Amino acid sequence: MDSTLIALAGQIAQLDAVDSAHLERMRHEALTAQAPWKAEYGAYQSGGWWTTSLMNASGDAADVTIGDCAAKPTDLLGRMPATAAFLADLGLNFMGVRLARLEGNAFLWEHRDYDELHQVERHRLHVPLHTNTSAFLVTGGTKVHMAGGRIWRLTPTYAHGVCNLLGPDRIHLIADVYADGAYRHLARRPALSPTVAEPLPVADQTVLAERLESARNMATLGYTEAAERMLLRLFYTYALPEGTAYDLIAELHTSLGDMEAATRWETAKRRLLALPA
Amino acid sequence: MPTLQLAAITQANRPAQLPLLSKLADILATSLSVTHLMVRGSLAHGTADRLSDVDFVVGVHDAQLPAFVEALDTLMPVEAGALLPGWRDTIVADLGGVGMVFLVPDEGKLHQIDLYVAPASRIPRLQAMVSTAVLLDRRSGPVAASDIAAAESFVAAFAARPRSCTELLIEHLVLAVLLHKRIRRGQRFVAYSEWHRLHTATKDLIKTALAPASRYWGWYQLREEIAVTPIGRACLGDLDAAIGGPAVPEAADVTEAIERVLALTERACPQALDGLRDAVAAYRTYQELV
Repeated sequence: MDSTLIALAGQIAQLDAVDSAHLERMRHEALTAQAPWKAEYGAYQSGGWWTTSLMNASGDAADVTIGDCAAKPTDLLGRMPATAAFLADLGLNFMGVRLARLEGNAFLWEHRDYDELHQVERHRLHVPLHTNTSAFLVTGGTKVHMAGGRIWRLTPTYAHGVCNLLGPDRIHLIADVYADGAYRHLARRPALSPTVAEPLPVADQTVLAERLESARNMATLGYTEAAERMLLRLFYTYALPEGTAYDLIAELHTSLGDMEAATRWETAKRRLLALPA
Repeated sequence: MPTLQLAAITQANRPAQLPLLSKLADILATSLSVTHLMVRGSLAHGTADRLSDVDFVVGVHDAQLPAFVEALDTLMPVEAGALLPGWRDTIVADLGGVGMVFLVPDEGKLHQIDLYVAPASRIPRLQAMVSTAVLLDRRSGPVAASDIAAAESFVAAFAARPRSCTELLIEHLVLAVLLHKRIRRGQRFVAYSEWHRLHTATKDLIKTALAPASRYWGWYQLREEIAVTPIGRACLGDLDAAIGGPAVPEAADVTEAIERVLALTERACPQALDGLRDAVAAYRTYQELV
Protein backbone atom coordinates (compact mmCIF):
# COMPACT_ATOMS: atom_id res chain seq x y z
CA MET A 1 0.00 0.00 0.00
CA ASP A 2 1.36 3.46 -0.81
CA SER A 3 1.51 6.15 1.86
CA THR A 4 -1.74 7.83 0.74
CA LEU A 5 -3.61 4.56 0.96
CA ILE A 6 -2.05 3.72 4.33
CA ALA A 7 -3.17 7.10 5.67
CA LEU A 8 -6.61 6.65 4.16
CA ALA A 9 -6.92 3.12 5.54
CA GLY A 10 -6.89 4.66 9.02
CA GLN A 11 -10.11 6.40 8.05
CA ILE A 12 -11.81 3.82 5.89
CA ALA A 13 -10.87 0.20 5.40
CA GLN A 14 -12.18 -3.03 3.94
CA LEU A 15 -12.46 -5.90 6.39
CA ASP A 16 -13.81 -9.41 5.77
CA ALA A 17 -15.76 -10.45 2.68
CA VAL A 18 -19.46 -11.24 2.98
CA ASP A 19 -20.81 -14.43 1.44
CA SER A 20 -22.42 -13.32 -1.82
CA ALA A 21 -25.51 -15.55 -1.56
CA HIS A 22 -26.15 -14.40 2.01
CA LEU A 23 -25.61 -10.79 0.94
CA GLU A 24 -28.29 -11.18 -1.75
CA ARG A 25 -30.76 -12.43 0.85
CA MET A 26 -29.96 -9.48 3.12
CA ARG A 27 -30.37 -7.15 0.16
CA HIS A 28 -33.77 -8.63 -0.60
CA GLU A 29 -34.81 -8.15 3.01
CA ALA A 30 -33.63 -4.54 3.07
CA LEU A 31 -35.41 -3.69 -0.17
CA THR A 32 -38.70 -5.33 0.76
CA ALA A 33 -39.05 -4.96 4.54
CA GLN A 34 -41.85 -2.67 5.75
CA ALA A 35 -39.49 -0.48 7.75
CA PRO A 36 -40.33 2.73 9.63
CA TRP A 37 -37.76 4.94 7.88
CA LYS A 38 -36.97 8.10 9.86
CA ALA A 39 -35.18 11.30 8.95
CA GLU A 40 -32.83 12.14 11.82
CA TYR A 41 -29.80 14.38 12.21
CA GLY A 42 -31.42 16.89 9.84
CA ALA A 43 -28.65 19.49 10.15
CA TYR A 44 -26.18 17.02 8.69
CA GLN A 45 -28.07 16.22 5.52
CA SER A 46 -29.70 17.58 2.38
CA GLY A 47 -32.84 15.55 2.92
CA GLY A 48 -33.08 12.03 1.54
CA TRP A 49 -31.14 10.30 4.36
CA TRP A 50 -33.38 7.81 6.12
CA THR A 51 -32.58 5.31 8.82
CA THR A 52 -34.40 2.56 10.65
CA SER A 53 -33.08 0.61 13.62
CA LEU A 54 -32.33 -3.09 13.72
CA MET A 55 -30.69 -3.02 17.17
CA ASN A 56 -30.84 -0.23 19.73
CA ALA A 57 -31.50 0.58 23.37
CA SER A 58 -35.29 0.61 23.13
CA GLY A 59 -35.94 -2.23 20.72
CA ASP A 60 -38.10 0.17 18.69
CA ALA A 61 -37.19 0.30 14.99
CA ALA A 62 -38.48 3.87 14.74
CA ASP A 63 -36.01 5.04 17.42
CA VAL A 64 -32.95 6.01 15.38
CA THR A 65 -30.97 8.12 17.83
CA ILE A 66 -27.50 6.72 18.47
CA GLY A 67 -26.30 6.36 22.05
CA ASP A 68 -24.24 4.15 24.32
CA CYS A 69 -26.18 1.04 25.27
CA ALA A 70 -26.28 -2.74 25.17
CA ALA A 71 -28.32 -2.91 21.99
CA LYS A 72 -31.23 -5.32 21.67
CA PRO A 73 -32.98 -6.43 18.47
CA THR A 74 -35.94 -4.46 17.22
CA ASP A 75 -39.12 -6.01 15.90
CA LEU A 76 -37.93 -5.13 12.39
CA LEU A 77 -34.84 -7.31 12.77
CA GLY A 78 -37.16 -10.10 13.83
CA ARG A 79 -38.67 -9.95 10.34
CA MET A 80 -35.25 -10.07 8.65
CA PRO A 81 -33.86 -13.53 9.43
CA ALA A 82 -30.90 -13.45 7.03
CA THR A 83 -29.75 -10.13 8.44
CA ALA A 84 -30.25 -11.30 12.02
CA ALA A 85 -28.18 -14.41 11.30
CA PHE A 86 -25.41 -12.33 9.74
CA LEU A 87 -25.24 -10.05 12.79
CA ALA A 88 -25.29 -12.99 15.19
CA ASP A 89 -22.44 -14.68 13.32
CA LEU A 90 -20.28 -11.59 13.70
CA GLY A 91 -20.45 -11.99 17.48
CA LEU A 92 -19.78 -8.31 18.07
CA ASN A 93 -20.75 -6.09 20.99
CA PHE A 94 -23.26 -3.81 19.28
CA MET A 95 -24.00 -0.27 20.37
CA GLY A 96 -26.54 0.01 17.58
CA VAL A 97 -27.37 -1.35 14.14
CA ARG A 98 -29.31 0.52 11.48
CA LEU A 99 -30.34 0.33 7.90
CA ALA A 100 -29.50 3.63 6.21
CA ARG A 101 -31.09 4.64 2.94
CA LEU A 102 -29.64 7.50 0.94
CA GLU A 103 -31.80 8.60 -1.96
CA GLY A 104 -30.46 9.85 -5.26
CA ASN A 105 -29.33 13.51 -5.16
CA ALA A 106 -28.99 13.26 -1.39
CA PHE A 107 -26.01 14.22 0.73
CA LEU A 108 -24.65 13.92 4.21
CA TRP A 109 -22.67 17.14 4.33
CA GLU A 110 -19.07 17.28 5.50
CA HIS A 111 -19.10 16.48 9.21
CA ARG A 112 -17.56 14.58 12.12
CA ASP A 113 -19.40 11.98 14.19
CA TYR A 114 -19.15 10.75 17.77
CA ASP A 115 -18.45 14.28 18.97
CA GLU A 116 -20.35 13.56 22.15
CA LEU A 117 -19.05 10.01 22.57
CA HIS A 118 -15.32 10.01 23.23
CA GLN A 119 -14.89 7.93 26.34
CA VAL A 120 -15.05 4.40 24.93
CA GLU A 121 -13.35 2.90 21.89
CA ARG A 122 -15.95 2.17 19.26
CA HIS A 123 -16.07 1.66 15.51
CA ARG A 124 -18.55 2.02 12.70
CA LEU A 125 -19.00 -0.82 10.25
CA HIS A 126 -20.80 -0.55 6.94
CA VAL A 127 -22.16 -3.40 4.85
CA PRO A 128 -23.30 -2.06 1.47
CA LEU A 129 -26.48 -3.87 0.46
CA HIS A 130 -27.65 -1.84 -2.53
CA THR A 131 -25.46 0.75 -4.16
CA ASN A 132 -24.35 2.45 -7.36
CA THR A 133 -21.19 4.07 -8.64
CA SER A 134 -22.41 7.63 -8.00
CA ALA A 135 -22.74 6.86 -4.29
CA PHE A 136 -19.50 7.49 -2.47
CA LEU A 137 -17.85 8.75 0.65
CA VAL A 138 -15.29 11.54 0.68
CA THR A 139 -12.66 11.72 3.36
CA GLY A 140 -9.23 13.28 3.25
CA GLY A 141 -9.86 14.61 -0.26
CA THR A 142 -10.36 11.09 -1.60
CA LYS A 143 -13.51 9.59 -3.02
CA VAL A 144 -14.25 6.03 -1.93
CA HIS A 145 -17.07 4.04 -3.47
CA MET A 146 -18.00 1.46 -0.86
CA ALA A 147 -18.65 -1.43 -3.19
CA GLY A 148 -20.74 -4.40 -2.15
CA GLY A 149 -19.27 -7.70 -1.00
CA ARG A 150 -17.25 -6.64 2.05
CA ILE A 151 -17.58 -5.23 5.53
CA TRP A 152 -16.15 -1.73 5.64
CA ARG A 153 -14.85 0.16 8.66
CA LEU A 154 -15.27 3.90 8.83
CA THR A 155 -13.58 5.99 11.49
CA PRO A 156 -16.10 8.80 11.68
CA THR A 157 -14.12 11.13 13.90
CA TYR A 158 -12.42 12.31 10.70
CA ALA A 159 -14.29 14.91 8.66
CA HIS A 160 -16.20 13.11 5.96
CA GLY A 161 -19.29 13.35 3.81
CA VAL A 162 -21.42 10.93 1.86
CA CYS A 163 -23.41 11.39 -1.29
CA ASN A 164 -25.60 9.55 -3.73
CA LEU A 165 -25.42 11.87 -6.70
CA LEU A 166 -27.66 10.17 -9.21
CA GLY A 167 -29.35 7.25 -7.54
CA PRO A 168 -31.01 4.81 -7.35
CA ASP A 169 -31.21 4.55 -3.55
CA ARG A 170 -28.13 3.38 -1.66
CA ILE A 171 -28.85 1.12 1.32
CA HIS A 172 -26.19 0.21 3.87
CA LEU A 173 -26.33 -1.83 7.02
CA ILE A 174 -24.49 0.29 9.59
CA ALA A 175 -23.31 -1.18 12.88
CA ASP A 176 -21.71 0.82 15.68
CA VAL A 177 -19.68 -1.60 17.75
CA TYR A 178 -17.56 -1.49 20.89
CA ALA A 179 -13.99 -2.69 20.55
CA ASP A 180 -13.55 -6.19 21.96
CA GLY A 181 -11.90 -9.45 20.99
CA ALA A 182 -14.46 -10.22 18.28
CA TYR A 183 -13.99 -6.78 16.77
CA ARG A 184 -10.20 -7.06 16.86
CA HIS A 185 -10.44 -10.41 15.08
CA LEU A 186 -12.70 -8.92 12.41
CA ALA A 187 -10.37 -5.96 12.01
CA ARG A 188 -7.16 -7.99 12.03
CA ARG A 189 -6.33 -7.27 8.39
CA PRO A 190 -7.70 -3.87 7.34
CA ALA A 191 -7.07 -3.16 3.69
CA LEU A 192 -7.98 -0.64 1.07
CA SER A 193 -7.86 -1.63 -2.55
CA PRO A 194 -6.40 1.12 -4.76
CA THR A 195 -9.28 0.51 -7.15
CA VAL A 196 -11.88 1.87 -4.73
CA ALA A 197 -10.05 5.07 -3.73
CA GLU A 198 -9.89 7.94 -6.18
CA PRO A 199 -8.14 11.17 -5.18
CA LEU A 200 -10.27 14.18 -6.03
CA PRO A 201 -8.66 17.00 -8.01
CA VAL A 202 -7.44 19.98 -6.03
CA ALA A 203 -9.50 23.10 -6.68
CA ASP A 204 -7.33 26.14 -7.30
CA GLN A 205 -8.43 29.64 -6.37
CA THR A 206 -9.61 30.34 -9.92
CA VAL A 207 -12.02 27.41 -9.84
CA LEU A 208 -13.35 28.36 -6.41
CA ALA A 209 -13.79 31.99 -7.48
CA GLU A 210 -15.67 30.87 -10.58
CA ARG A 211 -17.94 28.61 -8.54
CA LEU A 212 -18.56 31.38 -6.02
CA GLU A 213 -19.49 33.74 -8.85
CA SER A 214 -21.87 31.15 -10.26
CA ALA A 215 -23.44 30.78 -6.80
CA ARG A 216 -23.77 34.54 -6.54
CA ASN A 217 -25.58 34.63 -9.90
CA MET A 218 -27.98 31.94 -8.73
CA ALA A 219 -28.63 33.77 -5.48
CA THR A 220 -29.25 36.97 -7.42
CA LEU A 221 -31.91 35.13 -9.42
CA GLY A 222 -33.50 34.12 -6.11
CA TYR A 223 -32.11 30.59 -5.92
CA THR A 224 -30.19 31.19 -2.70
CA GLU A 225 -30.66 27.75 -1.20
CA ALA A 226 -29.70 26.11 -4.49
CA ALA A 227 -26.57 28.27 -4.50
CA GLU A 228 -25.73 27.06 -0.98
CA ARG A 229 -26.24 23.45 -1.96
CA MET A 230 -24.14 23.90 -5.08
CA LEU A 231 -21.27 25.13 -2.90
CA LEU A 232 -21.75 22.30 -0.36
CA ARG A 233 -21.49 19.82 -3.23
CA LEU A 234 -17.98 21.07 -4.06
CA PHE A 235 -16.77 18.85 -1.20
CA TYR A 236 -17.67 15.85 -3.40
CA THR A 237 -15.96 17.22 -6.51
CA TYR A 238 -12.69 18.67 -5.26
CA ALA A 239 -10.15 17.97 -2.54
CA LEU A 240 -10.76 20.96 -0.32
CA PRO A 241 -9.23 22.00 2.98
CA GLU A 242 -11.58 21.13 5.84
CA GLY A 243 -14.63 23.38 6.04
CA THR A 244 -13.99 25.20 2.76
CA ALA A 245 -17.52 24.65 1.46
CA TYR A 246 -18.96 26.26 4.60
CA ASP A 247 -16.50 29.14 4.31
CA LEU A 248 -17.56 29.73 0.71
CA ILE A 249 -21.23 29.90 1.71
CA ALA A 250 -20.42 32.41 4.45
CA GLU A 251 -18.44 34.38 1.86
CA LEU A 252 -21.40 34.24 -0.53
CA HIS A 253 -23.74 35.71 2.07
CA THR A 254 -21.19 38.30 3.15
CA SER A 255 -20.86 39.45 -0.46
CA LEU A 256 -24.66 39.68 -0.68
CA GLY A 257 -24.75 41.73 2.53
CA ASP A 258 -26.59 39.08 4.56
CA MET A 259 -24.42 38.98 7.67
CA GLU A 260 -26.98 36.99 9.67
CA ALA A 261 -26.80 34.16 7.13
CA ALA A 262 -23.01 34.36 7.04
CA THR A 263 -22.88 33.99 10.83
CA ARG A 264 -25.37 31.12 10.70
CA TRP A 265 -23.11 29.18 8.33
CA GLU A 266 -19.99 29.93 10.37
CA THR A 267 -21.82 28.46 13.36
CA ALA A 268 -22.98 25.46 11.32
CA LYS A 269 -19.40 24.79 10.27
CA ARG A 270 -18.22 24.68 13.89
CA ARG A 271 -21.08 22.42 14.93
CA LEU A 272 -20.85 19.98 12.01
CA LEU A 273 -17.09 19.69 12.15
CA ALA A 274 -17.03 19.64 15.97
CA LEU A 275 -14.67 22.61 16.08
CA PRO A 276 -14.11 24.64 19.25
CA ALA A 277 -16.25 27.79 19.43
CA MET B 1 -42.88 30.61 -1.98
CA PRO B 2 -45.67 31.79 -4.32
CA THR B 3 -49.00 29.99 -4.39
CA LEU B 4 -49.20 27.89 -7.54
CA GLN B 5 -52.54 27.31 -9.25
CA LEU B 6 -52.35 23.53 -9.45
CA ALA B 7 -56.13 23.13 -9.44
CA ALA B 8 -56.28 23.36 -13.23
CA ILE B 9 -54.08 20.28 -13.46
CA THR B 10 -55.71 18.28 -10.69
CA GLN B 11 -59.23 18.99 -11.98
CA ALA B 12 -58.33 17.69 -15.44
CA ASN B 13 -57.08 14.45 -13.93
CA ARG B 14 -54.77 13.42 -11.13
CA PRO B 15 -51.66 12.41 -12.99
CA ALA B 16 -49.01 10.20 -11.45
CA GLN B 17 -46.51 12.93 -12.26
CA LEU B 18 -48.30 15.47 -10.05
CA PRO B 19 -45.85 15.29 -7.11
CA LEU B 20 -42.90 15.70 -9.48
CA LEU B 21 -44.65 18.48 -11.38
CA SER B 22 -45.45 20.25 -8.13
CA LYS B 23 -41.87 19.90 -6.88
CA LEU B 24 -40.42 21.25 -10.12
CA ALA B 25 -42.90 24.12 -10.20
CA ASP B 26 -41.91 25.09 -6.66
CA ILE B 27 -38.24 25.01 -7.66
CA LEU B 28 -38.72 27.17 -10.73
CA ALA B 29 -41.13 29.64 -9.13
CA THR B 30 -38.67 30.39 -6.30
CA SER B 31 -37.03 32.96 -8.54
CA LEU B 32 -38.77 36.29 -8.88
CA SER B 33 -37.27 36.41 -12.38
CA VAL B 34 -39.93 33.88 -13.32
CA THR B 35 -43.01 35.80 -14.41
CA HIS B 36 -45.07 32.91 -15.73
CA LEU B 37 -45.20 29.20 -15.16
CA MET B 38 -47.42 27.12 -17.38
CA VAL B 39 -47.90 23.47 -18.18
CA ARG B 40 -48.72 22.33 -21.67
CA GLY B 41 -49.21 19.03 -23.42
CA SER B 42 -51.14 16.10 -22.05
CA LEU B 43 -50.80 17.15 -18.42
CA ALA B 44 -52.54 20.42 -19.23
CA HIS B 45 -55.25 18.70 -21.27
CA GLY B 46 -56.06 15.94 -18.83
CA THR B 47 -54.89 13.19 -21.16
CA ALA B 48 -51.65 12.28 -19.42
CA ASP B 49 -50.63 8.70 -18.84
CA ARG B 50 -47.86 7.41 -16.58
CA LEU B 51 -45.32 7.86 -19.40
CA SER B 52 -46.20 11.48 -20.16
CA ASP B 53 -43.45 14.04 -19.99
CA VAL B 54 -43.72 17.11 -17.79
CA ASP B 55 -43.83 20.05 -20.17
CA PHE B 56 -43.35 23.52 -18.69
CA VAL B 57 -43.36 26.94 -20.29
CA VAL B 58 -41.38 29.34 -18.14
CA GLY B 59 -41.70 33.07 -18.66
CA VAL B 60 -38.67 35.00 -17.46
CA HIS B 61 -38.04 38.73 -17.28
CA ASP B 62 -36.36 39.61 -20.56
CA ALA B 63 -33.37 41.16 -18.86
CA GLN B 64 -32.73 38.04 -16.78
CA LEU B 65 -33.28 35.45 -19.50
CA PRO B 66 -29.58 34.79 -20.26
CA ALA B 67 -28.64 34.39 -16.58
CA PHE B 68 -31.68 32.18 -15.98
CA VAL B 69 -30.95 29.84 -18.89
CA GLU B 70 -27.28 29.61 -17.93
CA ALA B 71 -28.28 28.76 -14.34
CA LEU B 72 -30.51 25.85 -15.39
CA ASP B 73 -27.64 23.40 -15.80
CA THR B 74 -26.75 23.99 -12.14
CA LEU B 75 -30.27 24.38 -10.80
CA MET B 76 -31.73 21.23 -12.30
CA PRO B 77 -29.10 18.76 -11.01
CA VAL B 78 -28.83 20.43 -7.60
CA GLU B 79 -32.52 20.94 -6.90
CA ALA B 80 -34.26 18.34 -9.06
CA GLY B 81 -31.56 15.66 -9.36
CA ALA B 82 -31.33 15.85 -13.17
CA LEU B 83 -28.97 13.14 -14.44
CA LEU B 84 -27.39 15.06 -17.29
CA PRO B 85 -26.94 18.62 -18.48
CA GLY B 86 -30.01 19.84 -20.35
CA TRP B 87 -30.40 18.87 -23.98
CA ARG B 88 -31.02 21.85 -26.24
CA ASP B 89 -34.36 20.82 -27.68
CA THR B 90 -34.22 20.84 -31.48
CA ILE B 91 -37.69 19.32 -31.87
CA VAL B 92 -39.76 21.94 -30.09
CA ALA B 93 -41.49 24.62 -32.18
CA ASP B 94 -39.91 28.07 -32.18
CA LEU B 95 -42.05 30.27 -29.95
CA GLY B 96 -39.44 32.92 -29.29
CA GLY B 97 -37.63 31.16 -26.48
CA VAL B 98 -35.28 28.25 -25.88
CA GLY B 99 -36.18 24.63 -25.19
CA MET B 100 -34.27 22.41 -22.78
CA VAL B 101 -34.94 18.78 -21.91
CA PHE B 102 -33.78 17.22 -18.64
CA LEU B 103 -33.99 13.62 -17.46
CA VAL B 104 -35.00 13.49 -13.81
CA PRO B 105 -35.32 10.30 -11.74
CA ASP B 106 -38.42 10.06 -9.62
CA GLU B 107 -39.83 6.99 -7.89
CA GLY B 108 -37.19 4.84 -9.54
CA LYS B 109 -38.01 5.93 -13.10
CA LEU B 110 -36.56 8.49 -15.46
CA HIS B 111 -38.90 11.32 -16.40
CA GLN B 112 -38.52 13.66 -19.31
CA ILE B 113 -38.82 17.28 -18.22
CA ASP B 114 -39.31 19.81 -21.00
CA LEU B 115 -38.62 23.43 -20.13
CA TYR B 116 -39.48 26.02 -22.72
CA VAL B 117 -38.01 29.25 -21.40
CA ALA B 118 -39.36 32.36 -23.07
CA PRO B 119 -38.87 36.06 -22.44
CA ALA B 120 -41.82 37.58 -20.57
CA SER B 121 -42.45 39.92 -23.49
CA ARG B 122 -43.23 36.89 -25.70
CA ILE B 123 -45.64 35.18 -23.33
CA PRO B 124 -48.89 36.86 -24.54
CA ARG B 125 -48.16 35.78 -28.13
CA LEU B 126 -47.12 32.32 -26.98
CA GLN B 127 -50.34 31.91 -24.98
CA ALA B 128 -52.34 32.87 -28.06
CA MET B 129 -50.67 30.06 -30.02
CA VAL B 130 -50.35 27.26 -27.47
CA SER B 131 -52.89 25.82 -25.07
CA THR B 132 -51.54 25.89 -21.52
CA ALA B 133 -52.63 25.56 -17.93
CA VAL B 134 -51.34 28.54 -15.97
CA LEU B 135 -49.72 27.76 -12.62
CA LEU B 136 -48.25 31.19 -11.97
CA ASP B 137 -48.77 34.61 -13.50
CA ARG B 138 -46.61 37.38 -12.03
CA ARG B 139 -46.58 39.62 -15.08
CA SER B 140 -45.17 43.04 -14.45
CA GLY B 141 -45.22 46.31 -16.35
CA PRO B 142 -43.90 47.11 -19.82
CA VAL B 143 -40.52 45.71 -20.77
CA ALA B 144 -37.80 48.05 -22.00
CA ALA B 145 -37.03 47.73 -25.71
CA SER B 146 -33.36 47.20 -24.91
CA ASP B 147 -34.22 44.23 -22.66
CA ILE B 148 -36.40 42.73 -25.39
CA ALA B 149 -33.59 43.11 -27.90
CA ALA B 150 -31.07 41.56 -25.51
CA ALA B 151 -33.34 38.57 -24.89
CA GLU B 152 -33.96 38.07 -28.64
CA SER B 153 -30.26 38.28 -29.31
CA PHE B 154 -29.55 35.67 -26.61
CA VAL B 155 -32.21 33.30 -27.99
CA ALA B 156 -30.79 33.59 -31.51
CA ALA B 157 -27.23 32.99 -30.31
CA PHE B 158 -28.33 30.05 -28.16
CA ALA B 159 -29.99 28.35 -31.12
CA ALA B 160 -27.07 29.02 -33.45
CA ARG B 161 -24.36 27.69 -31.12
CA PRO B 162 -22.76 24.58 -32.64
CA ARG B 163 -23.48 21.41 -30.74
CA SER B 164 -20.60 19.72 -28.97
CA CYS B 165 -20.00 15.96 -28.90
CA THR B 166 -21.26 15.92 -25.31
CA GLU B 167 -24.50 17.63 -26.33
CA LEU B 168 -24.96 15.19 -29.20
CA LEU B 169 -24.38 12.23 -26.90
CA ILE B 170 -26.98 13.62 -24.50
CA GLU B 171 -29.33 14.06 -27.46
CA HIS B 172 -29.08 10.32 -28.11
CA LEU B 173 -29.85 9.51 -24.48
CA VAL B 174 -32.88 11.80 -24.42
CA LEU B 175 -34.19 10.56 -27.77
CA ALA B 176 -33.90 6.98 -26.55
CA VAL B 177 -36.13 7.82 -23.57
CA LEU B 178 -38.65 9.33 -25.99
CA LEU B 179 -38.45 6.32 -28.26
CA HIS B 180 -39.05 3.81 -25.48
CA LYS B 181 -42.16 5.80 -24.61
CA ARG B 182 -43.39 5.81 -28.24
CA ILE B 183 -42.81 2.08 -28.53
CA ARG B 184 -44.72 1.32 -25.33
CA ARG B 185 -47.61 3.46 -26.52
CA GLY B 186 -47.59 1.99 -30.03
CA GLN B 187 -46.98 5.44 -31.61
CA ARG B 188 -45.32 4.06 -34.74
CA PHE B 189 -45.28 7.23 -36.82
CA VAL B 190 -43.73 9.35 -34.07
CA ALA B 191 -41.29 6.54 -33.32
CA TYR B 192 -40.26 6.52 -36.98
CA SER B 193 -39.61 10.28 -36.85
CA GLU B 194 -37.60 10.16 -33.62
CA TRP B 195 -35.66 7.08 -34.78
CA HIS B 196 -34.57 9.06 -37.84
CA ARG B 197 -33.56 11.95 -35.56
CA LEU B 198 -31.48 9.55 -33.52
CA HIS B 199 -29.63 8.36 -36.63
CA THR B 200 -29.14 11.96 -37.68
CA ALA B 201 -27.69 12.71 -34.24
CA THR B 202 -25.29 9.78 -34.71
CA LYS B 203 -24.20 11.22 -38.05
CA ASP B 204 -23.78 14.67 -36.45
CA LEU B 205 -21.76 13.18 -33.60
CA ILE B 206 -19.41 11.47 -36.05
CA LYS B 207 -19.00 14.65 -38.09
CA THR B 208 -18.47 16.84 -35.01
CA ALA B 209 -15.82 14.44 -33.70
CA LEU B 210 -14.02 13.54 -36.91
CA ALA B 211 -14.82 16.28 -39.43
CA PRO B 212 -15.45 19.40 -37.34
CA ALA B 213 -14.57 21.71 -40.23
CA SER B 214 -16.67 19.84 -42.78
CA ARG B 215 -17.63 21.86 -45.84
CA TYR B 216 -20.42 19.47 -46.76
CA TRP B 217 -24.03 19.67 -45.75
CA GLY B 218 -25.92 16.96 -43.95
CA TRP B 219 -25.28 13.41 -45.10
CA TYR B 220 -23.17 14.33 -48.15
CA GLN B 221 -19.56 13.19 -48.68
CA LEU B 222 -19.34 11.22 -45.44
CA ARG B 223 -17.16 8.51 -46.96
CA GLU B 224 -14.83 10.98 -48.63
CA GLU B 225 -14.33 12.99 -45.45
CA ILE B 226 -14.47 10.39 -42.73
CA ALA B 227 -13.75 6.89 -44.05
CA VAL B 228 -10.09 7.75 -44.49
CA THR B 229 -8.80 6.36 -41.20
CA PRO B 230 -9.52 3.20 -39.21
CA ILE B 231 -11.51 5.20 -36.65
CA GLY B 232 -13.48 6.93 -39.38
CA ARG B 233 -14.28 3.65 -41.12
CA ALA B 234 -15.35 2.05 -37.85
CA CYS B 235 -17.65 4.97 -37.06
CA LEU B 236 -19.21 4.93 -40.51
CA GLY B 237 -19.64 1.19 -40.07
CA ASP B 238 -21.66 1.96 -36.94
CA LEU B 239 -23.74 4.49 -38.83
CA ASP B 240 -24.31 1.98 -41.62
CA ALA B 241 -25.47 -0.58 -39.06
CA ALA B 242 -27.80 2.01 -37.53
CA ILE B 243 -29.54 2.96 -40.76
CA GLY B 244 -29.70 -0.67 -41.88
CA GLY B 245 -32.10 -1.50 -39.05
CA PRO B 246 -35.89 -1.42 -39.12
CA ALA B 247 -37.69 1.80 -40.03
CA VAL B 248 -39.70 1.61 -36.82
CA PRO B 249 -37.65 0.26 -33.94
CA GLU B 250 -38.40 -2.21 -31.20
CA ALA B 251 -37.13 -1.48 -27.69
CA ALA B 252 -34.13 -3.77 -28.23
CA ASP B 253 -33.15 -1.80 -31.35
CA VAL B 254 -33.09 1.43 -29.32
CA THR B 255 -31.01 -0.17 -26.59
CA GLU B 256 -28.59 -1.52 -29.19
CA ALA B 257 -28.33 1.91 -30.81
CA ILE B 258 -27.45 3.56 -27.50
CA GLU B 259 -24.76 0.98 -26.72
CA ARG B 260 -23.39 1.45 -30.25
CA VAL B 261 -23.25 5.22 -29.82
CA LEU B 262 -21.56 4.94 -26.42
CA ALA B 263 -18.90 2.70 -27.98
CA LEU B 264 -18.57 5.10 -30.90
CA THR B 265 -18.12 8.00 -28.46
CA GLU B 266 -15.39 6.12 -26.58
CA ARG B 267 -13.64 5.54 -29.89
CA ALA B 268 -14.02 8.93 -31.57
CA CYS B 269 -14.43 11.52 -28.82
CA PRO B 270 -13.93 10.00 -25.34
CA GLN B 271 -13.70 13.48 -23.82
CA ALA B 272 -17.44 13.78 -24.42
CA LEU B 273 -17.92 11.24 -21.63
CA ASP B 274 -15.82 13.21 -19.13
CA GLY B 275 -17.92 13.79 -16.06
CA LEU B 276 -20.79 11.76 -17.52
CA ARG B 277 -19.72 8.19 -16.79
CA ASP B 278 -21.66 7.90 -13.52
CA ALA B 279 -24.63 9.56 -15.21
CA VAL B 280 -24.51 7.03 -18.05
CA ALA B 281 -24.31 4.20 -15.49
CA ALA B 282 -27.33 5.64 -13.67
CA TYR B 283 -29.15 6.10 -16.99
CA ARG B 284 -28.63 2.43 -17.81
CA THR B 285 -29.96 1.44 -14.39
CA TYR B 286 -33.07 3.61 -14.63
CA GLN B 287 -33.69 2.42 -18.18
CA GLU B 288 -33.21 -1.11 -16.94
CA LEU B 289 -30.42 -1.73 -19.42
CA VAL B 290 -28.41 -3.51 -16.75
